[in-house]
Amino acid sequence: MVYLRNAFPGLILMSAFLGGWELYVALTDTSPLILPAPSDILNGLWLERATIARHALATLGVAGFGFSLSVVFARVVSVLLHFSGWLRRGMMPLLVASQTVPIVALAPLMVLWFGFGLLPKVLLVILVTFFPMVVSLMAGYASLPRAFRDQLISMGASRWAVFRRATLPSARSHFFAGLRISATYAIVATIFAEYAGARQGLGIYILSAKNNFRADLVLSAVVVSACLTLAFLTMIHCIERATGRRYRQVSNA
Amino acid sequence: MLDVQTLNIHAGQGPLVENVSLDLVEGRLTCLIGPSGCGKSSVIKWLAGVLAPELSVQGSVNIDGAPQTLPHKDIAYQPQQDTLFPWLTITENVSLGLEIRGLNRTTARNRVRDLFPQFGLKGYEDNFPAQLSGGMRQRAAFLRTIIQDARVLLLDEPFSALDAVTRLQMQDWLIARLAERPRAVLMVTHDLYEATQMADRVLVMAGDPGHITADIPISIPRADRTEATLAAIRSTLKSMLLKDTS
Repeated sequence: MVYLRNAFPGLILMSAFLGGWELYVALTDTSPLILPAPSDILNGLWLERATIARHALATLGVAGFGFSLSVVFARVVSVLLHFSGWLRRGMMPLLVASQTVPIVALAPLMVLWFGFGLLPKVLLVILVTFFPMVVSLMAGYASLPRAFRDQLISMGASRWAVFRRATLPSARSHFFAGLRISATYAIVATIFAEYAGARQGLGIYILSAKNNFRADLVLSAVVVSACLTLAFLTMIHCIERATGRRYRQVSNA
Repeated sequence: MLDVQTLNIHAGQGPLVENVSLDLVEGRLTCLIGPSGCGKSSVIKWLAGVLAPELSVQGSVNIDGAPQTLPHKDIAYQPQQDTLFPWLTITENVSLGLEIRGLNRTTARNRVRDLFPQFGLKGYEDNFPAQLSGGMRQRAAFLRTIIQDARVLLLDEPFSALDAVTRLQMQDWLIARLAERPRAVLMVTHDLYEATQMADRVLVMAGDPGHITADIPISIPRADRTEATLAAIRSTLKSMLLKDTS
């Protein structure tokens, strides 16, 4: 019931938007080459479902793999940065700089350097998703209350013990916040990489649909990519719920 | 058993604490009392080994006459805020100190659970801190401090977060717990009623920079401490504290 009440405003707005769109196309008699109606997009999605599913699966595979690697890297690097002030001062500007590189410029170069295989796409996904996670983790580590640290040090805890017993658990909600931000980038980054050159994937599908003047299929692929991102977010939400019973106590304190 | 000699703490802009010497005796509760910002917390934090590293410190601490480094395993510290970790159960929280000292997890948790009834926490072993009342959390925090089996306990305003009634109950309760396992206790407070009710000895601190202005033993047995018997000491302390802040 609560769930329905939360979803209700979204559903209403979405229906109004799609209804208005459909109506506009019908009334103005716009060519489907320029602006296909939502019904055309759904129709295209249905007719092309087998092909789109194959490409979507390829995209999901690359994004999932790249994102998983990125999570592992982010955790390792954040720990290194946490323990080494020297490394932190050296790396942070580089990390920020890495975020200023436009993907459109980098994606074709990556393909040029590393070919049409998995590597350039995975690298691109890591480049895009890594930074928000590291920044969130660092902010999470810094959020440890001073008194918690003092308590452990007075008990004779080493720096590592303080990190493991207090810093890491208290960074948990920050970590998941970063994870959610990064997850929304993962699919988009993969599509960008595929757009620059690939044999399979939604990116290459969008490129060929565009070249064939099939705006309806371009938008069908967009709908699928949005669904993939939502699936990613849902999965992260479920993992957070399933593993974090004790951490939810934090919000009641 | 523990003594501090000529402690000086300097911050960038000037001295925070100047020439503080004190000694703690086993089975005695010493209260360090003074206005806010007079450096009482700095003294206790230094003894706990958690003073901010940017402060420069001269001074030494001896246990049984031998010089020691800080933090020390014979000194247990309870910070001002309740530092029970919200993501750990009460049992896990209380056994934290024992586990950090290298005790096996199962042994530590069993030892902790044995003391739950005595600390009024029976039945709450697997609850989280957020599910407990303020008084119970404070008792859990005391248990965590006391169970470390350190010979010296440092308590930084242990009752400051409690309401007035719970506070009075907890003062008597803590005295009873301490009587069971005599330790040298240094308790920081800014409440002179609390200090005179609980302490064997009151050290008065004044600020700018922090130094000890008086050392007042309270020899009245705790059972005989009433408004009437403590009136003289309280008025002396009150005038000292008021003079320092004016």
